[in-house]
Amino acid sequence: MKNKKLLWHGRFTPWLFLLPTLIGLLVFRLIPIVWALILSFTRWSLLGSPSFIGISNYIEAFHTETFIQTVFNTLEFSIIYVIGSIFFGLILAVLINIKMKSIAFFRALIYLPVVTSAVAVGIVWNWILGPNIGLVSTLLESINITAPYWLGDPKIALTTVASVQVWKMAGYSMILFLAGLQGISSETLEAATVDGASKKQRFFRITLPMLSPTVFFVLTIAVIDSFKNFELIYSMTKGGPQNATNTLVYDVYLNAFVYYRVGYASSVAFVLLVFVGVLTIFNFYIKRNWAQPLQ
Amino acid sequence: MSNKRFEKVHPLRVVAIVFVSLVAIFPFLWMVQNSFNTEQNIFGNSVFKFPDLLFKSNMFENYKLVIGKYNFGRYTLNSIFVCSLASIGQVIICTLGGFVFARMTFRGSKVVFTLLLLTLMVPVQVTIIPEYYIMMKLNWLDTFLPLIIPSFLAGAFGTFMLKEYFEQIPDALLDAGIIDGANAWKMYLYIFLPQCSAPAATLFIIAFMNNWNDLLRPMLYLTKESLYTVTLGLTQFQSQYSAKWNLLLTGSVLSILPLVIVFIFAQRYIIEGSITSGIKG
Repeated sequence: MKNKKLLWHGRFTPWLFLLPTLIGLLVFRLIPIVWALILSFTRWSLLGSPSFIGISNYIEAFHTETFIQTVFNTLEFSIIYVIGSIFFGLILAVLINIKMKSIAFFRALIYLPVVTSAVAVGIVWNWILGPNIGLVSTLLESINITAPYWLGDPKIALTTVASVQVWKMAGYSMILFLAGLQGISSETLEAATVDGASKKQRFFRITLPMLSPTVFFVLTIAVIDSFKNFELIYSMTKGGPQNATNTLVYDVYLNAFVYYRVGYASSVAFVLLVFVGVLTIFNFYIKRNWAQPLQ
Repeated sequence: MSNKRFEKVHPLRVVAIVFVSLVAIFPFLWMVQNSFNTEQNIFGNSVFKFPDLLFKSNMFENYKLVIGKYNFGRYTLNSIFVCSLASIGQVIICTLGGFVFARMTFRGSKVVFTLLLLTLMVPVQVTIIPEYYIMMKLNWLDTFLPLIIPSFLAGAFGTFMLKEYFEQIPDALLDAGIIDGANAWKMYLYIFLPQCSAPAATLFIIAFMNNWNDLLRPMLYLTKESLYTVTLGLTQFQSQYSAKWNLLLTGSVLSILPLVIVFIFAQRYIIEGSITSGIKG
C-alpha cells in the first residue's frame, strides 16, 4: 500500500469532474434499466400512458413458442460465437506468432473485418451465400453438389449467421491471444527445450496452461459480444426465415419499434438482462476458481 | 537483442498465413470487384466474369450513381459530422473521468467505478426503450443529438482505458504540480492531459468506428432521409433496391471505405488499444 497522500484537491472536485460521467450513468444506464423493469409489467404503445398488467407479459412470453425459440436461438448463437471465436482466435494467434518482417501486414489484414460495419459485412455475405448466383453455390454446383439455402433454410440459417459473426470477429480474439502468447517468457520455453520437451509437449504443457488467464479474458469478452448481433441479423435475415434467426436483442427491437408492444418488449429486454447477468456471474465464478495462473 | 532476430519460418506456415489473410479480406475484394459490374453483367450465367466497367471510360458509373442520385455523399458527411462530435465528447469526458479515478481519492470512488464497469455489460437493447422515450420528450427526434449525447456520456470503456494509463504516470509529476500550487483543473489540463495523447487518439479512433457502425440509434432517431448516416442509408437502400446488387455492393464499399482508410493509417493504435481495454472498432 502506498502511504496516504495529502489530499491535494477539494472535497467536491472529483464529483465536479465526474459530473458528465455521472449524468450519463444515471440518465442513460441506471434509470433506463429500472424503468425497463417497471415497463415490463405494463401494456404500452409509446403513446398514451402505460397500464399496469402485472407479470402478464412474462407469462405470455413463456407461453409463446416463438419466444422460447428466440431464447434458444440466442443461446445457440452465443455458444457458436464463443466457441468459434476462441477456437479460431487461438489457432490464428499461434499461427502468426512469429517474428517475420511482414507479419504486421498480415495481422492487419486478419483484423480488418473487425473494424468494418456489420451491415456491409451482412450485405456482402448475403451476396456470396445467395442461391443460384452466389459464389459459394456456384462453386459447389461446379463440383455437382447442390448448395443448401444458407440463409433460407430455417435449419441452418442461424448457424450461417453466427459463423459470419465468428469470421468477422476472429481477428479480435486473435489479437488478445497474441498478446497473451507474447507475454509468456521465452526462457521458460527454452528451458523446456533444453530438458528435451517436444514442440507438441511445449504447447500443451507450457503455452496453453500459461495462457489460461488470457483464455478467460477472451471468454468474458466473447460472452458479452455474443449478444451484439443486431446489425448482422438485421442486414442478413431480419430474424427470418420463420423466426429461425430471431434473437433476444432483435426481438426487443421488433416488439418495441415494429409492433409497438413496448411493455412486452421491455419484458423481453429484461429476460436479456438476466441472461447477461447470469453469464457474467458464471464467468466471474469460473475465473476465480479455475483461471489461476500457474506457479 | 536476441529476440529482434527473425526466425526461420516454415514455408507451409507462410502459405497458411497467406491463406487465412485471404479468407479475411476476400469478401471485401469480391465486393469491390462487383462494384464495377453493370446490372446485366452481375446476373450473367457465371460469377467469374470480368467486371465489365473496369478500365472503361465510365468505370465509376456505379459510384457516381450511388454518391449522387442515391445520396451516399450526403450520408457520408452526416456520419463524419456525428461521429466526430460524439468521439471528441467521449475523449473529453473519459479523460476527465479516468483522471479522477486514477488520481483523486474520495468516498464512493470504487462504487461509481464498479457501476460503470457493470453497466458496460448491459446490451443497448435493454435501455433503448426508456432512452427513446427520453429523446422523444426532449424533442430530439430527427436531430443528431440522440446519436451524439448518449455515446459521449456513457463511454465507460474509455474511462477505464484512461484510468489505467493515468495510473502509470509517475507520482513525481503530481507532486511537482502540487508544489507549484496547481489546482485540480490546471493539473488535468496542463500536466496530465498533454501526457495522454496516444491513448486519447486511440480512444477517438475506436469511438469513431463504433459510432460509424452503429445502426440501432440512427434507425430509431432519424426518419428524415437527409439526416441519414451512411450505415442507416445502406440498410434503407438494401430494403428498397434489394435486386440492384451492383449498386448495393458499391454502397457497401463506400460505407466501409473511410474506416478502412483510417484503419490503414492507425492500425497500430487500434490494435494495441483494443488489447489494453477490451474494446474494438
